[in-house]
Parts: sequence; structure tokens; C-alpha cells
Amino acid sequence: MKLEPTRRKGRVLLTLLLFFLAASRRFITAQERTVPAAAGSSSTESFVDITQRVGINFQYLASHTSRKYLLETMGAGVALFDYDNDGRLDIYLVNGAPLSDPTPKGTVPRKTDSQYWNRLYHQKPDGTFEDVTEKAGLQGAGYGMGVAVGDFDNDGYEDLYVTAYGGNKLYHNNGNGTFTDVTEKAGVAGGGWSTSAAWVDLDGDGFLDLVVLRYVDWDFDDVWCGEHKEGYRAYCHPDYFKPISPLVYHNNKDGTFTEVAQKVGLGKPGKGLGVAIADYDRDGHIDLFVANDSMGEFLYHNKGDGTFEDVGLASGVAVDIDGRTYAGMGVDFADYNNDGWPDIVVTDLANQRYALYQNSGDSSFAYASQPLGIGQMTLSHSGWGVRFLDYDNDEWKDLLIAQGHDLDTIELDHPNLHYREPMLLARNTGHGFVDVSAQSGSVFRQAWVARGMAIGDLDNDGRLDAVVTTNDGPVHILHNETATRNHWILLKLVGDKSNRDAIGAEVTLVTGSRSQYATVSTASSYLSASDKRVHFGLGQENVAQRIEIRWPSGIRQTLKDIPVDQILQIDEPAAPSTPQKP
Amino acid sequence: MNTRRAKAGFFLSVVMAWSLCAVRSSAQPNSDFDRGLAEFRAGNYSAAAALFASAEAASPGATDALLYQAKALVHLQDFAEAEPALRGYVRSHRGSSDALYMLGFVLNRENRPSDSLASYTQAAAITPPTADDLKIVGLNYVLLDDYADAMKWLEKAVALDGTNKDAWYYLGRAYYTKARLVEARKAFQTILDLDPRNARAENNLGLILETEGQPAAAIKAYRKAIAWQEQNSQPSEQPYVNLGNLLMEQGQIKEAIEPLEKAVALAPNNAFCHMTLGVYYRKAGQMESAQRELVRSTQLDPDNAVAHYQLGRLYKDIHDLDRAKAEFDRTAQLQSRVAGSKSTPPKP
Repeated sequence: MKLEPTRRKGRVLLTLLLFFLAASRRFITAQERTVPAAAGSSSTESFVDITQRVGINFQYLASHTSRKYLLETMGAGVALFDYDNDGRLDIYLVNGAPLSDPTPKGTVPRKTDSQYWNRLYHQKPDGTFEDVTEKAGLQGAGYGMGVAVGDFDNDGYEDLYVTAYGGNKLYHNNGNGTFTDVTEKAGVAGGGWSTSAAWVDLDGDGFLDLVVLRYVDWDFDDVWCGEHKEGYRAYCHPDYFKPISPLVYHNNKDGTFTEVAQKVGLGKPGKGLGVAIADYDRDGHIDLFVANDSMGEFLYHNKGDGTFEDVGLASGVAVDIDGRTYAGMGVDFADYNNDGWPDIVVTDLANQRYALYQNSGDSSFAYASQPLGIGQMTLSHSGWGVRFLDYDNDEWKDLLIAQGHDLDTIELDHPNLHYREPMLLARNTGHGFVDVSAQSGSVFRQAWVARGMAIGDLDNDGRLDAVVTTNDGPVHILHNETATRNHWILLKLVGDKSNRDAIGAEVTLVTGSRSQYATVSTASSYLSASDKRVHFGLGQENVAQRIEIRWPSGIRQTLKDIPVDQILQIDEPAAPSTPQKP
Repeated sequence: MNTRRAKAGFFLSVVMAWSLCAVRSSAQPNSDFDRGLAEFRAGNYSAAAALFASAEAASPGATDALLYQAKALVHLQDFAEAEPALRGYVRSHRGSSDALYMLGFVLNRENRPSDSLASYTQAAAITPPTADDLKIVGLNYVLLDDYADAMKWLEKAVALDGTNKDAWYYLGRAYYTKARLVEARKAFQTILDLDPRNARAENNLGLILETEGQPAAAIKAYRKAIAWQEQNSQPSEQPYVNLGNLLMEQGQIKEAIEPLEKAVALAPNNAFCHMTLGVYYRKAGQMESAQRELVRSTQLDPDNAVAHYQLGRLYKDIHDLDRAKAEFDRTAQLQSRVAGSKSTPPKP
């Protein structure tokens, strides 16, 4: 009789403690989805997968190995942006690179052939897409992870920053359909394992700076995690790896950048996967939230002098309601309850509950996952890309979440949890969130290993669409076909004194029924960049009584009696404006 | 708390079996050895261990003194000293499955599950294991986070002895941990069939009901467990904790406090109970009581980041911002210790 295992395993004391702790109640069985569909909606297909129809055939290659390198399960991002200023959103998709099995320590993966290229798809006037990767020069390099969109030189064309394991790339948009790799000149190559990045003007000088998260201090070590038997090897928990500081690049306004993470107080080591921006205390200075995996989340308060301090613990957003850390992945930072204060949602792993933090308006947040329905709804799910979006234009921002466990072995031990999961659509009723996935179309019955997600109005019809990446799988273009007569408005802000993208601008829209508040940003979600245009669903309101903008420069602008159901460009005035009509 | 009591349960059952074995095995005449045996029988384990050590020193290998010294040390829960005694005995008595099984137990108690399993494997090659032995084999796999093998051996344990309540309990806990609620329920129900007022099993049935989304039934089960254990000499705080937590989740803040107060009374050195009670007091607006409990929790378990965080929140609520900052700083410091703290597993 052989009673012994093949190898010793870790976490001995913790495991025994958890085993004996009869109070542990953090797993559940599968949840039922029995919630009514959106009011006023007659269609059962809120989102329809149109990927094939629009001519996109992209496959993300993770290059899985028997070694279960952590890199393989993290997936990659997607950007929705209009690179040629033709008024239609284009799509940029990040891809992996081949990995040998085993991969020697110190290896920097390279894209050996075209199947590993990142891809730029240009949207044509008929709504289909064409692959313009080669012409654009955006094949990318290395094992790609994330993408950030921002016009760093204020020339009117969106530039791209693409993160990867082992080195990042800054691509300058030449304005003629091509991009130039300016990484070396700009000094933003970074290093290590970069993940999500955000363009944001940290010091209010009118030029976008760049925040680049990094995940863990990692290399291709042959580390065995999980049970030592055939088929049970698993991706290692991040606790096995040390945290690492992010990179923060200050824009020198001359095409070069200076790394200032420590200098500005953003250099705290973390395990960053998601980043989002908003001015949570409405003091006129943009703040940052960093979603860390299995350690405290960071909320960086902008002190107004160009420096930051982490107030995550004091403000109540670093941990869950029990004071425990969780596996923060994706994040969004927006005002879902229309009280004028930006709130936070963070996705994490099954048995943790996605974290919804409601801004109390006094520099603190209340953990609202349980009372607002997100807790029970998400307890058995694992989330990555996430965005608040008003998919049915009813004036309340809902939640769309890309899901799938990080462990492809999870079902061996936890048959109620799944590596492949359907997307989650949670409708905001104004009083809380309800899971409407089951009533929202076949997309929500398909199980994917979803990771990145970007949101934007692909066909400019006022209904927000989504693009979702999957790990070692295809991309999914989800067209919003929600049947609704609700009104909407899409605002494209163009900065002058402020950064041209107007990233960081605050927009308050007032109708007869309520006010809504939003921040201009391309960052948030997971590894991805979304449409920078600000979308408001307006319900039955057929006019926006007032639109108030606080530009990053501090200039305030007010527009009155704005017609709805339109895409409106608003230029930053040279000086504080008097009320005007567009 | 529950951990300690559960460990004590299997500890006592195994050691009692060895004690009887020791008495039956009394051997050759030797003054120190015989005196040691007498002390052992009388329950004077320290004296017994010293006499057995003396006997072994006087005549190395001539008696079973090392084995009995180890047994006495196990009674004293001095596993670090018991191990070398057992290893010494095994070196001179290679066919002693008794010593190897005990060594396996000692290594389990030293949190060395792989070494423990190696010893059990050697012992099983000589003498088939008992249900109690297989129970500890199963617990070794729990320590290794290998629940599939843990359940396999615990299932063998209950197959060998269907009346072994401890084995059923650990098997039920393993099933529960892996969300196999049907099997877990069956295991705990089996215990109740064997022992109809077993509070520990009923408490775990409450957990299953709670997990299944039946809070009212779960509350009933916790209350039943509490009632059943009232006559016990050592009632557990656990059903009180579970009841309090569930009442709090139901939004019954005031009702949740009383069970936690009882839990703290039963387990005054349990940092988790103090912390939970402190959090509940804070939510109920009883700030002085909350501060007392949270401070106590951090005193009992100074490295618990969650307790420091909860204390920081309390200080923030009462506008003692300097102390709040100190607690949040301590929380961050403790959290950062965990990140990257796990030892890197070896190559396969």
C-alpha cells in the first residue's frame, strides 16, 4: 500500500486551518438567472455576435505549454478607437507569441510569424472591417498583453501603447494610416510583465502622461503548482511571486518621456492588472484606481501638486467587506447611481464576489456588492473585462462583464466552477443590479474564456457595442441590438488647452428627470481601451437641458437645450464660456 | 476554536489507543523502565519520559524504552522530542509498525505531511493500517491541499470502520470544502445516526443548508447544535459564530451580537471571535465595546491584517485619525508580507 504523495506541497498550515474552520462559507452552487428583461425591450437579443458577418477572423494564441506558465492564462486586450478620424471605430487586437516547452528562463518571446501578429482592423463605411495591420505597421512584438489609446502629442490622431511581457511599444499615428514605432526615442519600453496602461494627464500640463501597470516579478521558471498528478498541474497563485512597481512616464512634450513613478508617489509595488481614472472626491484633480491581484487594491488620490498617495484602505476600497484582499482583475470607475460621485467595480475570482464600491461623497466608499445584488450574482463567477454602460439607454449604467476562471483545471476540484463561462449582463434598475444575461440572447449562453473587453458605439446608432477577447480563442464582436426607443447622446470632446483627447474631463448631463455624470477616459476594464466618446442613455427625455463640462485645464463650459440622438463634438473653449448652444 | 478542538479529538483517540497498547506491551525487567511504566500508567508522563530516557541511556536498545518515551512525549504533545526517540527506536527495531505508525502521527502533528505519509507507507508494508491510521493519512492529504486523495483515504477509513465518527467528520469536511454538498450531508448525517445529538455534525449541516441558500433552516440547525452542546463539558464556540454571521448577513445586527458574545465567552483567546464581535458592535454603533474587542483581537493575533484594518475603520469612524492611520499602515505592512511569501514549489 502506497500512501505517500509524489511531492510536498505548500500552504500547509493555511490549508489545515481552512479545513477545520467550519465558519468558511464562501462557495456556492451555480446560480439561477431568473430576472426580467430590460423594460421596454421586446427583443431577446440584446447583444448579437457579428464577428463573422463583419469580416473579422482573429484568433488569440496563448501558446499553452505543459509547464503552465502563468502568462498563458491571462489573455490580452483590445482597443476601440478611430485611428483615421473617419468617424467610425476601428479595432486593435493584441496577440501572444510562441512559447517553447519548456521555455528557458530569461527568454523574451518573439512573434515568429504572422499568426501571432497583433491586428488592426479598419472599419469600412458598410460596417465591415478590413485587416490593415501590415500597412499600419502594427504587427507588434513579444507576448502581447494590453493596449492603451491616447493622442500623446496632441496632433489629432490617436496613438497606441501596447504592453507585452518583456517590453512595450509606443506607436505614433502618422495620420496617414501608418504608425511609427517611437518606443526607443520616447523612452517608454519599460520591462518586466506589463499589463494594463492608461493615458492620463497627471499634472495638468495639457499633455497625456502614461501609467503602465506591471503584474508580478516573474520569469519562465519551471514552477509546479497544483496536485502532482496527470492533468492536475495548475497555474500558480500570484502569492508565489513578488509584487512589482508600475511605470509612470511623464510626457516631456517633445516626444520623450521621463519615468517618475517613485517621484510622484505612484511607485508602490503591486500586482496590477486593471487601471481606471476618475476624480472620486471631485476636488478637480484626476485620481487613479489600480486593481491588484490578491493584495490590497490601490486608490491613488491626486494631491493637486502632481503627486499621489494611496488611500485605498482609509477610503474602504482596498479590501472586501470582510477586510480581505481578493483577486482584482478588471475595473471601472463611473457613477452608476447618478449621484454625481464616481463609483468603482472590480472583478475577481469565483467565491470572492465582484466588488462594487459606492462612493459616499465624503472621500469614502461603501462596499455595496451585497445590498445591490452583485454579490450573490457573481459569487460563482470569475470576471475580467468590465464596464459600466447604459446598454438600454434608460439613464442607468448597467454592467457588462467578460468571464471565465483563470485555472483550466478548476472543474476537477470544483465542479460548480468553470474555466469557460458566459458573459454577464447586469441591468441597473436604479435600485440595484439584476442579472439579465439569460434573457439577453444566445451570446450569454455561450461559454468563453473571456478576458479583455472594450466598449464603444461601433455603428454610431447610440447603442453601445462590445468587443471581447478570449484566451486562446477568437474575438467576439457583440453588436447591441437592444430593442428600445430610448434616446441617447454621444459626446466627442476635443481639448485645446487640455489634452486633445480631453481625457479626465468631467461631464454632467442634466435632463428633466435626473443628472448623469461621466469622465472622459479610454482606460478601464482589463488590458483594454474603449471608445473615448462619452455616452449617455436618456430614456424618454428628448432634450438634454444642460451639459456641463469641467475640462482638465479647469475651464468650465455649459451647453443648454441640446437635441438628443446625435453624436456631438464639443471643443474646449479658449476661456470660461458663457452658456451657449452648439 | 474549532481547529483546536478538532485536532484534540483525533489526537486523543489515537493516543488512547497507543496507551492501551503500551500497557499491554510492558516488557523486560529494568528498574528505570519499570518505574517509567508505572508513572506512565499513572498518567505522569513527564516523569515517565525521563525514566524511559534514563533506561535507554543505561542500556541502549535493550528495552522498548525509546518507544515508550516517545509515547509519553506524545501525551505531553512534545512532538519535536518524540520524533528523535521514535527514529532511534525504528533504527533498532526495523520491523516495528507500531513505531512507524506513531512516527507518522507525530510527523502529521509537526505539519510535515509528506514525511508523515512516507512513515505510514513503511508501516503499512508491515501491518495493515487501522481506520484511525487512514484517517490521519487523509488529513495529511488535506494538509497537502490534495483533496482527491484525502477523500480517497478517508473513504477507506470509514469503509474499514463505519462507526468511526472522526473519520466521518473529516470526510464530511473534505466533501464540504470541495462543494460536494450531497456527500458532505450524508457524512454528517451518518454521524448523527451514530450519535443523534452530535452538535458538531449538526453545526456542519447548518453550513450546508446555508450554502444551499436555506438561511432559515441553517439558523435552526445552528440553534439545535447550540442546544445539544449545552451539556458538553467543552461546548464549541463555532455554532455561535456561524449563527451570528448568518444573522448579520440577514441584516439582524442586534440579534447577531448575542451569539458572538457567547462565542467570545467560550473562546476568550480566539482572536477571530473578538474581531467579529468588534465589527458587529461597530455596525451597531457600540463604539466603546467595538474598540475593546478589536484591540483584544489585535493583541491576540498581532499579525492579522484584517483585524488591524477593522480597528482602523473603527478609529476612523470615531475620528481618531492618527490611530486610524497607524492601523491602516500596519494593515498595508502585513498585506505586503503575504505577497510573494509562498515558497516556490519544487520541480516535479
